[in-house]
Amino acid sequence: MARVSEDEERAFTELVRRFQGRVINLISRVLNDRESADDLAQEVFVRVYVHRRNYRRGSKFSTWLFTIAANLAKNEIRRRVRKRHWFSLDALQDLLKDSAPILADPTEGSERSMEREQLQEAMARAIGTVPEKYRLAVVLRDLEGLPYEEIAQVLGIPGGTVRSRINRARTMLKRKLQPLLRDEGDS
Amino acid sequence: MNCTHARRLFAAFWDDETTQAEREWLEGHFASCPACRRDYEQYARTLELLGSLPRIEASPDLAERALQRARRSETAPDRLPQLRPQWVPITAGAAAVLLLTLTVLGPWLSGSRSPRVAQRAPVGQSVTEPVLVHSPAAPSHGAARAIDSRLPANLAANAPLPDSLFDHSADVEFILDPVTLHRGRASVTHSSGATQGERAVITF
Repeated sequence: MARVSEDEERAFTELVRRFQGRVINLISRVLNDRESADDLAQEVFVRVYVHRRNYRRGSKFSTWLFTIAANLAKNEIRRRVRKRHWFSLDALQDLLKDSAPILADPTEGSERSMEREQLQEAMARAIGTVPEKYRLAVVLRDLEGLPYEEIAQVLGIPGGTVRSRINRARTMLKRKLQPLLRDEGDS
Repeated sequence: MNCTHARRLFAAFWDDETTQAEREWLEGHFASCPACRRDYEQYARTLELLGSLPRIEASPDLAERALQRARRSETAPDRLPQLRPQWVPITAGAAAVLLLTLTVLGPWLSGSRSPRVAQRAPVGQSVTEPVLVHSPAAPSHGAARAIDSRLPANLAANAPLPDSLFDHSADVEFILDPVTLHRGRASVTHSSGATQGERAVITF
């Protein structure tokens, strides 16, 4: 990042290549939209470049990067909510209803793999139904693996609030996925 | 009570942030409480599933595209306020309706405000060229009262003029009583001469 600050374009390209996966995963999971995630990730790195001189040396670059990404994702969620393009909880319930019979009768092999894929799809949609403030926290923690302290910095909230939000989000996800998760004792 | 306490520890237990005493207590509780054990298993499976979501690959040209856009952004202002395209037709439509309403109802509305409307001539016929009148309080260039010859005779005779236009040469400020108008060119509408300076068209 120090080299990027000194206007080295090659260093910037390297930086993008190094972090693009994490940024795009964060955004696409928060938005549940792969297509928009690419454009938004590009916007994140544009902002990094434009504001590169505002980066304080000594602070953790990933924290700064995730802060920009989280803010852009939040803005995008709010824009979509305003435009009502966001899928609703009803849509998720329809999906769960449709997939429940398949998942209730799992068998070995490729069908099991299909079950896994459908569970992942259901999970991806369930993440989208969690309220934004909880969603960002849980994605940063459980998908990106950031420590609680760093999430607190990224979201600009106290550590206790981070823990509480993550716990709420996990409980919500568990509740939403519960009908699809087979008990160990049942299998 | 024990079950409530156990569920509060689920997150810390998953994150491996419990103390050894807490962990031992929770494991003991699971051994004696199948409901809590089952609940935690579902909690853990949910988080396993969350963590197992496939990683999404970025487009191979993301870095180049970002760099190109970053270069362009550097030469342009960072964030220009963007008019939302969907508001443009609405705003334009509202403006057109307002303009049409004012055009159609304007004369009627302005007429209904004044009891002297019956005395006025139609607006189109009464607009004249700008008339500059030197202030009696601040005579300039030695001229006593250089009133334009185009000013109606009965208006010129009404001295002093409480709502006349003052000439300050290059730095002109037109004043119409009771409103002070800004700099520019003014054309004054005189209807019958008795309503001097009542109506003005200002061009900036």
